[in-house]
Amino acid sequence: MFKYLMARNEDIPPGASAVFFGFSAIIWFVIGTGLGSFNAAKLAFPDFVTGDMYFAFGHMRQVHVMAVIFGWISMAFAMAMMYITPALGNNKLWSEKLGVWNCMLWNIGLLVALTTLWAGITSGREYSDFPWPVDLYLATCVFIPLGVNVWMTIVNRRTQGIYTTNWFFAAATFMVIIVFLVGNSPEFFHLTGLTEAYLTWWFAHNVLGLWITPVAAAIAYYTIPKITGNPLYSHRIGHLHFWSVVVFYSTPAAHHLMSAPLPEWLKSFASVEGVLILVPAIAFVSNIMLTMKGKWHMFVENVEVRFTITGCLMAIPLNMQGGFQQTRAINWYIHGTGWIVAHAHLALLGFSTFLEAAAVYLGLQTLMNRKLYSLKLANMHFWLLLVGFTTYWVSMTIAGLIQGAGKIYEVPYIDVVIAEHPYMIARWLGGTLVFFGNTLWLYNMWMTARKGTVIPAGRMPHELQYER
Amino acid sequence: MAWNFEKPLVTMVDPATNEADKRLWEKEDLGGITEDNNRMPMPVVLLVVLTVLTAFAVTFPLWGQRPTASLYAGYIKSMDDPHVKAITNDDDAMKMIVQLNKASGTLDGRSMEDMLERHPISMNDLRIIKPQMEALMASGVDLGEYEVVGDQVVLANFQGNLKADGTIERKQPWWDKGYTIDIFYLTYFFTMVIVMIKRLPPSTWQPRHNVH
Repeated sequence: MFKYLMARNEDIPPGASAVFFGFSAIIWFVIGTGLGSFNAAKLAFPDFVTGDMYFAFGHMRQVHVMAVIFGWISMAFAMAMMYITPALGNNKLWSEKLGVWNCMLWNIGLLVALTTLWAGITSGREYSDFPWPVDLYLATCVFIPLGVNVWMTIVNRRTQGIYTTNWFFAAATFMVIIVFLVGNSPEFFHLTGLTEAYLTWWFAHNVLGLWITPVAAAIAYYTIPKITGNPLYSHRIGHLHFWSVVVFYSTPAAHHLMSAPLPEWLKSFASVEGVLILVPAIAFVSNIMLTMKGKWHMFVENVEVRFTITGCLMAIPLNMQGGFQQTRAINWYIHGTGWIVAHAHLALLGFSTFLEAAAVYLGLQTLMNRKLYSLKLANMHFWLLLVGFTTYWVSMTIAGLIQGAGKIYEVPYIDVVIAEHPYMIARWLGGTLVFFGNTLWLYNMWMTARKGTVIPAGRMPHELQYER
Repeated sequence: MAWNFEKPLVTMVDPATNEADKRLWEKEDLGGITEDNNRMPMPVVLLVVLTVLTAFAVTFPLWGQRPTASLYAGYIKSMDDPHVKAITNDDDAMKMIVQLNKASGTLDGRSMEDMLERHPISMNDLRIIKPQMEALMASGVDLGEYEVVGDQVVLANFQGNLKADGTIERKQPWWDKGYTIDIFYLTYFFTMVIVMIKRLPPSTWQPRHNVH
């Protein structure tokens, strides 16, 4: 990477920044899930690593969350944008050099940010835990350069139209910058009270709704038609999906605060909008499933398709939960319980991770012109991820229901802790399977770079037979 | 890109623009990806309609409310009952209070007994809120407009219907301005998306890929 930092843009091979982002994302995924497994072990076995404040759950939880969101997920998005945006415009990335710098500044910034977080320097606001200088750094050195590269690549495209994926990429990079700057304003301007609470959850909601969800979906709009060779089922459903994400996902932040003294009309408004997130979900899932027509055998045969379709299928329970758990009727029961933790993992480790993993698998093979080193390892990765995630999700959902019952019926706290202990062990087991799967993935992609079969020019990775 | 309102549910652009769009659609290569022009299948349309109806139906504020102060008015009165006062153990006294208030009818159309079971309270809590509750009862205000939040009995944060005296009712209405905003918001959204989609060539036309 370093040799390209001072090179001329023309001298940097196309796709270099995407490859750097791809490997960075996988490494952060290993780190993030490793931290997750460690944290889960602390909940499952309370005597595990005690006596050092730096290894206390309170110090480490947010490091895990931020490593996964801004390391794994966001860098995988950047990787996808660096190679899919130009591919869809039949041109090159506007600036590979900016992409390489972006990747380096992102890695350095995140390393510093997580270190400060680990040291206990935090805003104390969930999901926007970073202190304000880090927020400003992330906006100016991470998201704005990424957005500029994406927008300029689209502006300089060699097509007249813009494909659906690039609508999402262009809009999401714009929206995440706004979300970052506005959502962290309580720190910039020392806002307190309900304003702080509302903006904290406006940020948390929109990082999911206007960044992670749309970009993950945009990836599927690329991978499925690209690999199956089928046309996207419907351009017009794409319109419904895109605009309903922008309109319905941006507004329900208040549904995170259904028990707070916000105006009730705002909660009513947000709660209806919260259910309406099912509209983009219905549009997305139906469009992708119908695009698969006649190619369902690839769900079994092709790793990237399997990852993508699994992610799409997870959008169904994800949005059913997300749509209804925020209503007054259900929120009073499950608010503040493990149910929410399970739901957050369904969004990040289920739905979006499977879609991003497909993009990274496809992108790295395509850009390095190397066929995947080992199909067996890729299959193992898929199953470890799926079984690990499912174990985690189911166990935490049950634990959440137990906690909800304990909360409502005022069961003594320690009794609830004892009742949910088996599920905490299951959570740790599930998370550890995911971590183990990711180490295999890192090895597989590293070996792909070194020993993968060369893909002839003009061919797609899936058109070649696996050699191992 | 002239507008054409002859058959707005089929297309809203003039035939020349439609033809140009069709040619571009079939000719253009977006990184090897093509798109079809299918309409949304009817079951999916119905699912979207069902979602909109459900969104309103399921979010009406029928559940998950904080207890209003009126819920505990009976409890507060029972604290002065000689039978309750005679009990020295708090738990037993609370049981007696609950017993005295069983079958105490309905509140806002819901069973008082069920609501009290859902919002249990201890003697300590009752002692804390008793002076505030008694002050409110003496002043003759509607306790249904007050909530018990922790150790405070406060005016509810609702902005409900206008009362005859011009003040706002502080009770959760079955409908509030949040829903009105939602209806406007949804109307704008679906109108704009339909207009956008109807600017495309009609869905009866499908592009022929890879023929150019």
